Amino acid sequence: MAVEGGFTVMVVDDHPIWRDAVARDLVEDGFDVVATAAGVESARRRAAVVKPDVVLMDMRLGDGTGTQATTAVLEVSPSSRILVLSASAEREDVLQAVKAGATGYLVKSASKSELAEAVRATGEGRAVFTPGLAGLVLGEYRRMAKAPAKGSAPPSLSERETEILRYVAKGLTAKQIAEKLTLSHRTVENHVQATFRKLQVANRVELARYAIQHGLDE
Amino acid sequence: MLSERSSRGTRESSRALAPDPATPLWRAAQVFRLLSVIYALGFQIAVNVDLERPIAAWALFGVLVAWNIACAVAYLQGFGRRAMWVAVELVVVVVFVLSTATVASDQWMQDNQPWATTLWATNVTISAAIQFGPILGMGAGLVVIASSAVLKDSISVNLGRHATIVIELAVGLAVGMAALTARRAHAELERATRLAAALEERERLSREVHDGAIQVLALVSRRSREIGGPTAELGELAGEQERALRRLVSAGSPPVPVGAEVDLVPLLRSRESDRVSTSLPATPVMIASATATELDAAVANALDNVAAHAGAGAHAFVLLEDLGASVVVSIRDDGVGIAAGRLGQAVDEGRVGISNSIVGRMKWLGGSATLSTGPGTGTEWELTVPRGSARGS
Repeated sequence: MAVEGGFTVMVVDDHPIWRDAVARDLVEDGFDVVATAAGVESARRRAAVVKPDVVLMDMRLGDGTGTQATTAVLEVSPSSRILVLSASAEREDVLQAVKAGATGYLVKSASKSELAEAVRATGEGRAVFTPGLAGLVLGEYRRMAKAPAKGSAPPSLSERETEILRYVAKGLTAKQIAEKLTLSHRTVENHVQATFRKLQVANRVELARYAIQHGLDE
Repeated sequence: MLSERSSRGTRESSRALAPDPATPLWRAAQVFRLLSVIYALGFQIAVNVDLERPIAAWALFGVLVAWNIACAVAYLQGFGRRAMWVAVELVVVVVFVLSTATVASDQWMQDNQPWATTLWATNVTISAAIQFGPILGMGAGLVVIASSAVLKDSISVNLGRHATIVIELAVGLAVGMAALTARRAHAELERATRLAAALEERERLSREVHDGAIQVLALVSRRSREIGGPTAELGELAGEQERALRRLVSAGSPPVPVGAEVDLVPLLRSRESDRVSTSLPATPVMIASATATELDAAVANALDNVAAHAGAGAHAFVLLEDLGASVVVSIRDDGVGIAAGRLGQAVDEGRVGISNSIVGRMKWLGGSATLSTGPGTGTEWELTVPRGSARGS
């Protein structure tokens, strides 16, 4: 099935069989797989050259984590969108990747069509999420509200965002939530995306403050 | 792999030979032994001329010194730290005390302590207390008292003037408690160390399973579903195993109570299955153990309800939220729900009985449980428990 606007994709995974299988699937679905990488460093080098629309990111890489690779790729190619494709269940590391700038998360057991749909959504700037990830994000906002960083108000969710994240965490699809709240499908997705983005901004502010405090800012 | 196993073997065997946690006590006891022998020597020098058989008394004192050297070596080296040696020491002490009758007159014995001195005899009270704990330590102290009472043919019940009995009991109790505490602390530390090692091993295993088996199973399941036909069935099997393995390695360790509190996150994560997803925060949600037990049981009730009544293929989602002052657990399913007016049927099916039990549990915790349902929209339980409200224990 050829896709309108076939995005350029980079696949980052240290498992060669997986990397190749996923790349092949994506090509069959009409995506343009412009690069593959096995680790953080190779992902950084290649992303700097090919500037992919979407990066499919594994969480465990030979020379580091998916979070490190996400940071590295966004440094050299800020317009790229990161979709985490992990064999692990949603745990702290996925949350870290989202804070580093990933906008989606999918388990590796997802089917070929689910994968294609997720890559497409990520390329279009939509957030791809699972109930588990929504639970993590909700928990993170509540953690930050309880222990605010010095000197700045912690990022918080609007009532609507909290409502929507809770529905997602309870397994409702964006469509079901849209019906329940009489919103458009797109609005629901935008709200979820906003919750991700605020986490990323907060994370960047926190990192910058840490760097200044510790004199690490070059 | 092989080298790891053998290294674990050495660790195991070295634990068997691990130093006795009471070793510092044994060392201190031998210092006391030395001082008590010096005291006995001073006593001997002072009273020897008054004895009936002074030369025999000096000979006995020589035997006492030799015996003490043997004891000190045995306890310091460790081969004396056993029931048999301590029992022999007790017998030897009693014999030395009673031997006073062979070197001194009855009158001398009435006026004095045994030639070996009560202070020296206390050594066996200490040994027994370290070896066996406070009860037998005090027991040995009583034996020491009894043997000197035999010499005098009387026992002094005037505790105000003769505090020996009290001192013997106190030494046995205090040293015994110290030994007991040292051993308990050591056992606790050892347990914690073993737990940490087990966790580390699990983490390593999880990484390996993760990087290998799970990835391959996921790939097999994916490919075979695409090929279709009978291969798809194989893929289904591979997929099941992949999910089961993932749950296994991500289940982490069983919740370890921290004081009176327990982390709800691993507790609820263990409820994950093919038909149950969990949405949990990344940070621990600590709650009183009793509350956690009830809450977990209520979640289990709700999930049982889903499995029994929501229909085939229904999926349940468990969401845990920490609101600070309270903890909220939502259990939602995407099954058939309960249609209005069919509550009666639901009662017959036993669904309401379970519901009552969920509500009861939450009320007991000072919280609340609300059920929302409708035809085709599944059911949703929202369980709210205030923090620090666990009644009873």
